[in-house]
Amino acid sequence: MKFETVIGLEVHVEMATKSKIFCSCSAEFGGEQNDHVCPACCGMPGMLPIVNKNVVNLGMTAGMMLNCHINRTTTFDKKSYYYPDLPAAYQTTQWFAPIAVNGTVEIETTKGKKAIRIKQIHMEEDAGKLVHDDWTDTTLVDFNRTSVPLIEIVSQPDLSSAEEVVAYLERLRSLLRFAKVSDCRMEQGSMRCDVNLSVRPEGSQVLGVRTEMKNMNSLSAIVRAIEYETARHIDAIENGTEELVQETRRWDDVKGKSLAMRSKETAGDYRYFPDPNVMPIVIDDNWYNGIKNSLPEFPEVKKARYTAELGLSDYDAGILTDSRALCDCFEAALTVCGSAKEAANWLISDCMNVLNKKQLTADQLTVNGKALGQLIKLVTDGKVGRGNAKKILEVLFETDVDPAVYAEENGLIVSNDTGLIETVIKEAIAADPKAVADFKGGKEKALMALFGKCMKQLKGNCDPQVLRALLIDEINKA
Amino acid sequence: MEKDTLLLLEKVNQLHLEDAEKETVLTFFAQQEQNAAILETIDTTNTERMVHVLPILTVVREDVAQKLFTRDELQRGAPETMDGYWQVPRVVE
Repeated sequence: MKFETVIGLEVHVEMATKSKIFCSCSAEFGGEQNDHVCPACCGMPGMLPIVNKNVVNLGMTAGMMLNCHINRTTTFDKKSYYYPDLPAAYQTTQWFAPIAVNGTVEIETTKGKKAIRIKQIHMEEDAGKLVHDDWTDTTLVDFNRTSVPLIEIVSQPDLSSAEEVVAYLERLRSLLRFAKVSDCRMEQGSMRCDVNLSVRPEGSQVLGVRTEMKNMNSLSAIVRAIEYETARHIDAIENGTEELVQETRRWDDVKGKSLAMRSKETAGDYRYFPDPNVMPIVIDDNWYNGIKNSLPEFPEVKKARYTAELGLSDYDAGILTDSRALCDCFEAALTVCGSAKEAANWLISDCMNVLNKKQLTADQLTVNGKALGQLIKLVTDGKVGRGNAKKILEVLFETDVDPAVYAEENGLIVSNDTGLIETVIKEAIAADPKAVADFKGGKEKALMALFGKCMKQLKGNCDPQVLRALLIDEINKA
Repeated sequence: MEKDTLLLLEKVNQLHLEDAEKETVLTFFAQQEQNAAILETIDTTNTERMVHVLPILTVVREDVAQKLFTRDELQRGAPETMDGYWQVPRVVE
């Protein structure tokens, strides 16, 4: 018998806000334990939540990016939760009227394109961190992450393979990063997912017994977990190796197997009820349209525009549109330098080199796009040599300076003093008569050696074409 | 509500109810279940959900991070702490 896998995902994404969802503590990742805390996020009695407006903005943005209907009246609810990492004993989340519902995300795999339906996106608070201390046999609680804002994106069970799951997660990550909803860094836990999986005979409309694997935060582990769990389900159905039960399981990536954690809770177990401390949020037309008008161009639309209108190669456009920061910098640079090809080259080659050296991702690019455009213009106008421009670029990664002013102040402007250039050339020729003889004898490399020595002496402040022409003239005279 | 459920809730909420109090609670919930059953018979198709009993909206705040309390202040009333963590009985076997 042939089987098909049915997968639905619940993806948790930490929103890129400065403060927490219901209090003004910092939402920054890391920090000393319990350094970003206050009585509200510590669940102390009598503390009332105040909603962070930016959380609603980003929730709406995510909904719009995933083609959802936005609930213009949205509410928060309480979900019972009996672990100390949420000390109020409930999680404030959305159950009855989530911010967004009924969306779609299109993915592309080796089998072609497929639309994955989004059931809902809801806003909620994250839980804290528990550290289990074997020495004292106690649990240590860090509330820094408690109440950091999350969106949970719940898909319909439309996915049928690990390849589709990876394509779906990559698409979500791309859209949410592009819209600056989240940095979606799986290694830091700002994007993690629960995989709901069942298996049924191919063509059947009846869903099989579903198991859930929680808190997966690596694509490769997700692939391995889905493959393992699919094989386990099929083996249980075909060979009766075990009885499948609806439960929550934990994926152990080292052992390469899933382990039962607890029987799966249902919505009833969570005892949702409207949060009496948070009044309804009504999104009026002004608020809604403000967010809608601020949505970025979708990456694939931008990529098509870059190739069709700006003449970039598919490859270059693909690299740029993989990151919103690269796109923003590219477009700002282009308005100043006027050359899409030059701007793309500087970003893809030189800026990426600096980012790699600093072990940063493209999304962490901080260079002012207009300053980059000015730098490129200085090079194309022949005012700054390429070598010196690279030095200025490194400065632009640290501070927002005017490249022309910086070049002037640091003696990096190309010299028009032909007298100085000729003096340097004469000295170089006098110091290396063999190179001169070799060049005259037809060895092109000998010219490059002399050229390099002159350029070094001039500290790069010379138009290469001018230097080359003067050098050849001088050699011919010699 | 079944008696077993009440006993579980009593335990997880660290309450102690006398037998007479338990009976009162069970009777109360049985009555509420009957009321709920009556409500279930009402056709609410196409009825807009009441989001709140009063026509009031939430207030929102701007996304500005502030540090208003120190860890020491917050942990002053904590029964146990260790290395800046709150320390609680082990929750995972």
